[in-house]
Amino acid sequence: MNFGSLSHYLSIEDLFATQERLPCKFVVPVHRLGFLDPSSENEDIAVGTTVELPYWLAQSLCSRRCNIVKVEIPKIYKEAYREILKADACVVDLHKFGLFFYEFGAYLSRLEHRDSTEIGSVLVQTFKERFRQVMDWAHNSGTDPAVTQRLDSLERALFREGHQTRAQLDAWLSEGAGQITAAEMVINHKKRKLAVLDDFC
Amino acid sequence: MDPAEVEFLAENQMVSIVPNFNFERIYLISGDVGPFRAGLPVQVPIWMATNLRQRQKCRIIAPDWMNTEKLEQVKEEESQSRFFTKMPSEHYMVEGHLLLGAASEDIPHADEIRTILKDIWDMRMSKLRSSVDAFIKIGGTHAKLDHLTAMEINSIRPLLPHALDELYKLQKIVRIISI
Amino acid sequence: MENADDVALSDEEPITAQKVLQTLQEVWLNEKFSPELLQHQSDLVDCILDQMQQMEENLQKLKKNDFRVVIHRMELDRIRYIVTDYLRIRLNKIETYVIHVLEQDVSRSTEDAFLSPPELKFAKEFLAHMEDHFRLIALRHMPSNVQDFDKAKMVVIPNISSHVFLRAKQSITGVVIEGDVENREEEVDLEENSQHIMQYKPIADYLKTGAVQLI
Repeated sequence: MNFGSLSHYLSIEDLFATQERLPCKFVVPVHRLGFLDPSSENEDIAVGTTVELPYWLAQSLCSRRCNIVKVEIPKIYKEAYREILKADACVVDLHKFGLFFYEFGAYLSRLEHRDSTEIGSVLVQTFKERFRQVMDWAHNSGTDPAVTQRLDSLERALFREGHQTRAQLDAWLSEGAGQITAAEMVINHKKRKLAVLDDFC
Repeated sequence: MDPAEVEFLAENQMVSIVPNFNFERIYLISGDVGPFRAGLPVQVPIWMATNLRQRQKCRIIAPDWMNTEKLEQVKEEESQSRFFTKMPSEHYMVEGHLLLGAASEDIPHADEIRTILKDIWDMRMSKLRSSVDAFIKIGGTHAKLDHLTAMEINSIRPLLPHALDELYKLQKIVRIISI
Repeated sequence: MENADDVALSDEEPITAQKVLQTLQEVWLNEKFSPELLQHQSDLVDCILDQMQQMEENLQKLKKNDFRVVIHRMELDRIRYIVTDYLRIRLNKIETYVIHVLEQDVSRSTEDAFLSPPELKFAKEFLAHMEDHFRLIALRHMPSNVQDFDKAKMVVIPNISSHVFLRAKQSITGVVIEGDVENREEEVDLEENSQHIMQYKPIADYLKTGAVQLI
């Protein structure tokens, strides 16, 4: 059951989203971490080296207190791509942009970066623009399931919810809801009891 | 919520039946019903009416609004209005579904009524989709939903509330950055 | 079963079983749709269970083919559905938000506790089992400095900013809704019987006083 909890420690989506990588340029030399850069044989990381790091790591290396790397925005959130989304967000295959387009974008815009505001508003705008399409696909029983491959994970979750509601409603409209059935656990429990009885016979 | 649960709620609504038996008053936890006198109309909850009807113990009287004339008028008003008009019953679709399902012989022009109800429903669903889309586009935070019936509200749950939750999170980030 | 007994709910004036059932149905829907766990209503549940018990006993006295039996049984099944679904939704929330609900109840007096005594017992046991489980399968294999079961880190908090559908049971003026992108705060009045969709947070207190009903 989903009561809409806030993102939390054990949220899988959150873990996935913060695992997305972004380019980070080292502004100080770091000893013995040369292995982070697969293209180099050096033992140390030199100033100016750019390595792709997962967000959770990058974020702790670029704070004001610990200024080790300078993060760069991944290209899908840069101006050229933002322009594509502004032109017509509905035709974009958002999944190709990134499986966690909104979640990761939201995390990115929390980093202090000159593009943060722009990224934030593109997320909002893109979501609003594409919502009708997601809803219409979800509410149309004839929708080709392949279309969902063009959605990012957040849109997919909304699609699934809408689609399920619609399927239940259609079933109700066409034949009536029938009986509210017992939870599977209850039924299984009864079956187990019967099975136990069977053993005695 | 499952449509079956909305139906469950609607089954508490009262409807008139004409019993073909005599029986004293029955003291239900949810209130008294009866006494039952053969041939005399009496009000019972829908769940009871449909059960009695299945056991051929009564005939169901269609609610006042469940006739072609009234419903055509409702449909006309709905099509003329940009907004949702007030339905003759809080559970018009479910009541129609239940009563026409259990007792279509008791209700004159049952097939036509079914068709008009479906027309009204479809019209309202399409309005609902447009208003949901418009609401998201303006990034709204509050909307008045007067005259939407329980089954209609349920048809956009959890999609609309969840979409608003996500939008709120995104908008909040933008707000925090721009401060 | 000639009379629908008036039943006393704590020391308030007696109310009918019908009224209790109606209230229980409202409480059930509020719990179903509210993002957070609401205060328990054990008095109400116990009262309905007593009524059902009494009815079951009365039914035993009737002949099997008595016309009333089927009807009363149907009604009992309907009420049982509400009660069990209500309690099950609460258990589900308690499991999801176990750390949070236990923390919150620590600061409340027994009368104001949100968890009923059996629910409190369940929550404590559930958390203990969760901790044991985490220790057994993962934590004990970790380096010693990260072996702690850190409740503060694991806590799951209900999103009270989530949106709900509601009906105002009485007029409410001046509900303040948090701003949109441009940070405009909006103040709305809810007329009696009007229906709305909005965030849970600004109406949470009205829900607790019974001025609104979630739908």
